Amino acid sequence: MTPGRKGLLLAAWLATVAALGWVVDRELVVGSDLRLFMPAPRTPQEKLILEEIGEGPASRMLLLSISGAQPSAAAETSRALVAELRQDGEFRWVANGESNLDAIPEKLFAYRYLLSSTLDHSRLDSTFLTAQLKERLHDMTSPAAGLVESLLTRDPTLELLNVVETWQPPMQPQTLHDVWFDKAGSQALLVAETGAAGFDPQGQRRAADALKRAFEKARTDPALELIVSGPGAFSVLMKDRTQGEAQWLGGLATIGMIALLLVAYRSVYVLILGLLPLVSAGLAGLAAVSTFFGAVHGITLAFGFTLIGVAQDYPMHLFSHQHGGLDPRDNARALWPTLATGVASTCIAYLAFLFSGVGGLAQLSVFTVAGLAVAGLTTRFLLPPLMQVKTRDAADSALLGWIWESIALLPRPLWLGVAVAACSIGILLISSRPLWQDALGGLTPVPAPLIERDSTLRRELGAPDVRYMLVIQANDAQSVLVRAAAIDPELAALVARGALDGYDHAARYLPTLEQQEHRRANLPSTRVLEESLATALRATPFRPGIFLPFVADVERARNLPALGPEDLAGTPMEARVNSLLLDRDGHWTGLVTLTGLRDPAALGSLDADFPDVTLLDLKQATESLVAHQRTRILYCLAASAVLLVLVVAFALRDATRVRRVLAPMALTTLVVLAGLHAAGVSLTLFHLIALVLAAGLGLDYALFFEHAADEPAEQRRTLHAVLVCSTSTLMVFALLALSSLPVLRDIGLTVSAGVISNFLLALLLTRPQGRTS
Amino acid sequence: MSGTSLATDLDTGSLLQKLARPAPESTSFVEVRYSSMLTEPIVASGELEHRTDGALVRRVISPYAETTVLAGETVLLEREGSKPRQFSLDRAPELRGMLASFGALLEGNREMIERHFSVTTTGNDAGWEMQLTPRDRKLKARIALIRVNGVEGNPRCFTMVEPDGDASLMALGIQNRSALPASLDRQSLQAWCTDRTKVVAK
Repeated sequence: MTPGRKGLLLAAWLATVAALGWVVDRELVVGSDLRLFMPAPRTPQEKLILEEIGEGPASRMLLLSISGAQPSAAAETSRALVAELRQDGEFRWVANGESNLDAIPEKLFAYRYLLSSTLDHSRLDSTFLTAQLKERLHDMTSPAAGLVESLLTRDPTLELLNVVETWQPPMQPQTLHDVWFDKAGSQALLVAETGAAGFDPQGQRRAADALKRAFEKARTDPALELIVSGPGAFSVLMKDRTQGEAQWLGGLATIGMIALLLVAYRSVYVLILGLLPLVSAGLAGLAAVSTFFGAVHGITLAFGFTLIGVAQDYPMHLFSHQHGGLDPRDNARALWPTLATGVASTCIAYLAFLFSGVGGLAQLSVFTVAGLAVAGLTTRFLLPPLMQVKTRDAADSALLGWIWESIALLPRPLWLGVAVAACSIGILLISSRPLWQDALGGLTPVPAPLIERDSTLRRELGAPDVRYMLVIQANDAQSVLVRAAAIDPELAALVARGALDGYDHAARYLPTLEQQEHRRANLPSTRVLEESLATALRATPFRPGIFLPFVADVERARNLPALGPEDLAGTPMEARVNSLLLDRDGHWTGLVTLTGLRDPAALGSLDADFPDVTLLDLKQATESLVAHQRTRILYCLAASAVLLVLVVAFALRDATRVRRVLAPMALTTLVVLAGLHAAGVSLTLFHLIALVLAAGLGLDYALFFEHAADEPAEQRRTLHAVLVCSTSTLMVFALLALSSLPVLRDIGLTVSAGVISNFLLALLLTRPQGRTS
Repeated sequence: MSGTSLATDLDTGSLLQKLARPAPESTSFVEVRYSSMLTEPIVASGELEHRTDGALVRRVISPYAETTVLAGETVLLEREGSKPRQFSLDRAPELRGMLASFGALLEGNREMIERHFSVTTTGNDAGWEMQLTPRDRKLKARIALIRVNGVEGNPRCFTMVEPDGDASLMALGIQNRSALPASLDRQSLQAWCTDRTKVVAK
């Protein structure tokens, strides 16, 4: 190829990559709902669990504390912060303990007789009214006089206060300066429910930013500081830490990789050529995922690039085999069968994830398969014309020659394979410890001091339990409310018994139609009410006539239609009821959140007595979901392993050669599994992905060792290629293994161990026998 | 000279010095409340206590039992038969008025009074009147004026007038309704307060 056409081809390739990059950058939508990496739900129950984990009120709840200065300053800031956050669209509701009568709109004011439980047990008759008016007389000489007098003529029985009191959270911390404080009286406490789901890190990040801005505005003393806790705050924190550490390690790995390539090939041009297939692979992968799925998950992006790092090996094989006089196209043609077998079998391994039933893994699968295929094809067809014919020949290295000869002298201990396999299987079988990690939290554990602070805040605030809740399922909203009202006395009995501190459900805010109608029916007619009022007035010195607004309100209430969930739209109660009463495609779910639960077993009887009430244990339920998901992935992997053997068998067409090529990879998988288990590591999904990656690498090493020809120069070139490939991979993953974050460390450690084991086993078991120079 | 002459006019500073009492200190009271919503005033009697920790306790004994503790910025209200309520002084400006005037009077704390009220004093040891007018808007919305009548170092009546004309009058040092004049209309009672100081002073 002439230099001119070479330049043209390179320019065209670069232009295509740039154009593809531009399109991908423009079209790419990066999603971040972590549930994409959780199993797809099969039953309505599982669907509920997943939605609850990510979207339930507990997952959206942020616990806030303000401290660091005088309590009065903290209280003032707390009030200002609530005012700021109520303006902010990121939050559904915010509470700091201020009971705010103004928050009740005029529209609901008339409904107080239907919402308050007073009419359940008493009527507005003369006895009741006389007692009430006498109470109000006392109020008028008490410190509460101001508040009572403002309501008196319209609401002499203070029904509004009754309603506000029932709407207060079931458990409340102490109030100082009108806002919630911890027991010590030093931290002002607040709760905020975010609009974004708990498993939406981007939404949670927006909420965290909004919170920070609002606090800066509301802060009345520079010494005050805001502490934010809760699932959303943790997901933001862990995302930042993971990203930060991944970037830092990734940067180091890139520098190391460049240095290694420069040392290995002594040419900047080769370095740039070597990066082209990888970049093309990444862009192709992104484009493929964008096309098939619409949006690319952030995790797919991060893992995908780690996994297609294997593609960096493909050009290296080509470069290492290049030497003076050889047409690079012939070089590529000679390597192709081996390379193609490697690419195809790795692709098959990743294809297993496409059928895993997990959206995020399917994305990962499409990404890697598309990426690796493009990397293989560009290495075969685009790279050779661009390569320089005359390069340094790896075969000239005396060192490599010496190493190869030393290797050749090594025994070929076939018994070793059997022994290693037996030991590994033995370790896995003998141990009684569970092999797998089922808890989701194990993947991104939150530092212990933060967990402790969270549970302290949770206790102080009386926030609902994050693990247990009762679930009511019904065909319509009314049936849910009826059931909630029915189990209310049982729950109250449990509170009295000390099994739990408090509970919350939609019927606390919105009584059932039946309850409301019953209360309405108990309201007297204007004539009867006026008579009773007259009697009550005779017993008290209230001026006749001042209660006309009260009589009018009662008459209005007698004609009100009962309040349904849809009537709460636009009121402060809308958010509370909406998070406890959920409409899912015509199927209604009611949640009963529990506070200070000490005896989960005590709730079992409710579960048994009411068929439509279930005690949900989120921890146990997610663990069984994860276990189920894993079983399915393992079946997929087993199927792809069979396929892989078939591909290798088809490529090599010789049982002995197939055995030699597959042995290191299979043994390595066993050895790493046994090693991790013996080291006390519980395996997660990420270990599985890492094992597949390590297996793909091992297969490549074995294929090339097996392929090494009789000629000493060729052998040295193969050795050079495999050394460069394995060293670079080992460097990248050893760096990841240094990470403080379990996900990155797990992957780094697993792949590093896999690379070492694969390399050594390929040397000992795959190397053709008796062929030395 | 001022110590010997009863006729000498008093200034706020020297009056407050005379009023200062070391805690604990307690006195009985009868409170009469006037409201436009009522056909006749209502009466409550009980005890006021200034505790050593600085808290003020208002204990109503008749016609119902109720205790209010004002400590720092917090009010604790306990009434027989209902659960205790706690709220902050910001919520009840009339209480802040009471606390600032009554508590500060007991402590002789002029600075605390003047933070919330502007004060004028008239009269002499034989009978004086102190008028407290709220300074800030929030307080003004609930209190138009507080009037304290007394003789020498003894306050006798507190009258709190609200912007809408409603008022409450608290007579100190008497046990129950029977010590008050037969007619409880506002003018007569206020006159009774002024007279009372004169009578005692004689």
